Amino acid sequence: MSRKVVEIAGRRLSLSNLEKDLYPSYGFTKAHILEYYRRIAMFILPHLEDRALTLKRYPEGVEKDFFFEKRCPSHRPGWVKTAEVSRDYGERMTVCLINDLETLIWVQNLASVELHVPLARVGSPETPDFMVFDLDPGDQATILVCAQVALILRDLLSRLGLTSYVKTSGKKGLHLYVPLNHKGKTFEDTKQFSRAVAVIMEKNYPDLVTAKMAKKYRKANVFINWAQNDSKKTMICIYSLRAREKPIVSFPLAWKELENAARQDDSEKLQVIHSEAVITAEKQGDLSREVLVKKQKLPYL
Amino acid sequence: MAGGTIWKGYIHFGDTNVPVKLHTAIKEERIQFHLLHSRDHVKLRQQMICAYEKKAVPDEEQVKGFEVEDGKYIIVNPEELGQTAPESSRLIDVHEFIKTEQIDPIFLDRVYYLEPDIHLKGYNALVGALMEMDVEGICTWTMKKRSYLGALQTNGKILRLNTLRYADEVISVKSLGLQKIPLSEKELKIGSDLINQLTGFFQPQKFENEHQKKLHTLIGKKARGEKIAVLLPRRLKPTAPDKLLQALKASLKKVA
Amino acid sequence: MGNSRSDIDTGEVLFKQGNKMAVQGIWSGTISFSLVAIPVQLVKAVEPGRVSFRMLHSKDYSPLARRMFCPEEDAIVHPDEIIRGYEIRPGKYILITNEELESVSPQRSRTIEIVEFINMNEVDSIYYDHPYYLVPTKGGEKAYRLLVEVMRRTNKAGLAKFVLGEREYLVAVKSMGGALALMTLHYSEEILPDEDISPRGGEIEAEEKSRIKKIIKKMMADFSPEKYADERRKKIMDLLKKKAKEKVPVEAPQVEEEEGEGPADLIAALKESMRKVKMKR
Repeated sequence: MSRKVVEIAGRRLSLSNLEKDLYPSYGFTKAHILEYYRRIAMFILPHLEDRALTLKRYPEGVEKDFFFEKRCPSHRPGWVKTAEVSRDYGERMTVCLINDLETLIWVQNLASVELHVPLARVGSPETPDFMVFDLDPGDQATILVCAQVALILRDLLSRLGLTSYVKTSGKKGLHLYVPLNHKGKTFEDTKQFSRAVAVIMEKNYPDLVTAKMAKKYRKANVFINWAQNDSKKTMICIYSLRAREKPIVSFPLAWKELENAARQDDSEKLQVIHSEAVITAEKQGDLSREVLVKKQKLPYL
Repeated sequence: MAGGTIWKGYIHFGDTNVPVKLHTAIKEERIQFHLLHSRDHVKLRQQMICAYEKKAVPDEEQVKGFEVEDGKYIIVNPEELGQTAPESSRLIDVHEFIKTEQIDPIFLDRVYYLEPDIHLKGYNALVGALMEMDVEGICTWTMKKRSYLGALQTNGKILRLNTLRYADEVISVKSLGLQKIPLSEKELKIGSDLINQLTGFFQPQKFENEHQKKLHTLIGKKARGEKIAVLLPRRLKPTAPDKLLQALKASLKKVA
Repeated sequence: MGNSRSDIDTGEVLFKQGNKMAVQGIWSGTISFSLVAIPVQLVKAVEPGRVSFRMLHSKDYSPLARRMFCPEEDAIVHPDEIIRGYEIRPGKYILITNEELESVSPQRSRTIEIVEFINMNEVDSIYYDHPYYLVPTKGGEKAYRLLVEVMRRTNKAGLAKFVLGEREYLVAVKSMGGALALMTLHYSEEILPDEDISPRGGEIEAEEKSRIKKIIKKMMADFSPEKYADERRKKIMDLLKKKAKEKVPVEAPQVEEEEGEGPADLIAALKESMRKVKMKR
């Protein structure tokens, strides 16, 4: 297997196993993955910046064993930016921060196909930058049912004065983001708020929504996982690849797109593959940019 | 009186065997409060409640689980757990001896007194040897299905067994993330002088559990229906870094 | 998809050990000696390595929790409705509030006041109870470092008393590896006398003593606690790893928080907004 040395921003990186096929059913090698991330870099980097990274590594490909890695590998190059985070028991741990292209490439060379990040940045780990609604369909529900729920949720939130943005999870679900981007609120607040919202959604649309995690409640319903609003939880980063049969991306959608797909009953439209992701992003720019900059306040708290 | 006998064993090293009985060495003084329902002052009981159903759960419906991931558990039954228990043994196996004072207090857990069992058989000799050589024995033993690590010590009269924490149970100072801050020789000198001025002999009998005494007084007052003045706790203002030298000098003046 | 395995590179185990406890800060306040005051937080210095299990409900694997239960009403009691009582006669209680408890030692709450320093080697190890670390909070870093350094140089520890929770402790604050360690001590009255178990009379056993000393000499070493591991813990972890391979871990249902639905204003606003949303659809 080949080894290649590249130079990015004056830094040397040794890339390995470039021909290794990490998506064997589809045919997508490590080189392809690196290329994807290189092209999506300018869109994904702002969403990764200063967030304690959890790597999800698939060294033998997406159909074999994976492992999570929260600690920044000790064999990292000296220029990889890191941060110290607190864990339980007063212990501290060093995590990787992907703040530049070269670190993104380095991480991808470790076959960390999926990138998971917390909702808060390292400097202020108890202050979420946004509130999320993780819409997770039950076994018998589809992404289109999720779309219906997302559209109702967006309507409800806008009546409370909150603008929200949606992305595909890259699997069967959707993620709704409500940007906050200010100091005032903690995870306690976002958790409480999102829970209240989830409960009222369940009360009013019992055949569509559940706010309870137990599998028995899900089946044909969409589970609104409000508990993701926690300093210890991570979400798949927007624009990250998913380790599924095909290299599908967790991709932002315009509300209009979601409405069209729901109306046309076309779930395919909501599965964005790597090539489409790059083309769309390059053409339209980062649709989720507002998630990082828009300042909103949670009312009634 | 020392506490009752809780276990019997043999101190063993080489071909030396000293039979002993373990006694607790500490008895904590505490005023016991009961928890009551504020509404009707009924004494509350502890129950195991199912977090999901919000109801009490009988013993037969309780199982042990180990949390591997948030909300995900591996269930173990009593038989399986029982098999992991160490074999019962009465041996207190001494593996090595170390000079006393090597063990940092952070490792010390509980203390037991050892009383000679049956007859003296080597007990006094061991006390004398440990005392004269100024050493402690590092030993392991099994008691009530648990494995222990400990230090065999003496105070000149009797033997004691001090259980120790395992190395990975002690949190390292490094993990606290403390900063290195430069200090001037002057600050260090005055600080050291101050400490030396404030040094006395360790006389633990001087210290009484005053809080307990005051609590008794408070309870007595309330029982008699007397009024209690509730004072707010005082919070000291922290010494600013640039005022540190000044504070040190003033303190030294006070005590010298 | 594949199964997860442990992260070998950095020794981080996928299994989480122990219960989740509060991060940082068991207590925060000030430590003082003479006129110097340092803002600090008390944090844990040791963590039991014993594998801890949660009790679960066998029906749905929901975690069980200990709650206070009122036998009269046959219901769980909310923490706000719990009060402390001292039983002066069977069934007759004197009620004590948190404020009254804290007021009993007003000068000592929130402050660890070092009244004197002592030589560490004067303290018999039997006095040590539980260890903690003190870490400086904002603004106290310099004074903290000074105290650590001068106690290290003079090889002294500070003696103080402080109230934590319901109890007052006698503590020794010492310098350890660049940090301040706080050890709670037992009061003298808590240390049981050993006279009644100490051997009365008995021969000096000089020959036996000599023989033992020879063996001790051969068995001398330096204290390195890393040599010893908790065997039972290892066996339990092996059992758990084996079981993890055989069966997928069970999942507990989502727990709803006891506090209720949320702040009244928010609920009202949500209800109203939901009404409008449904009307439109």
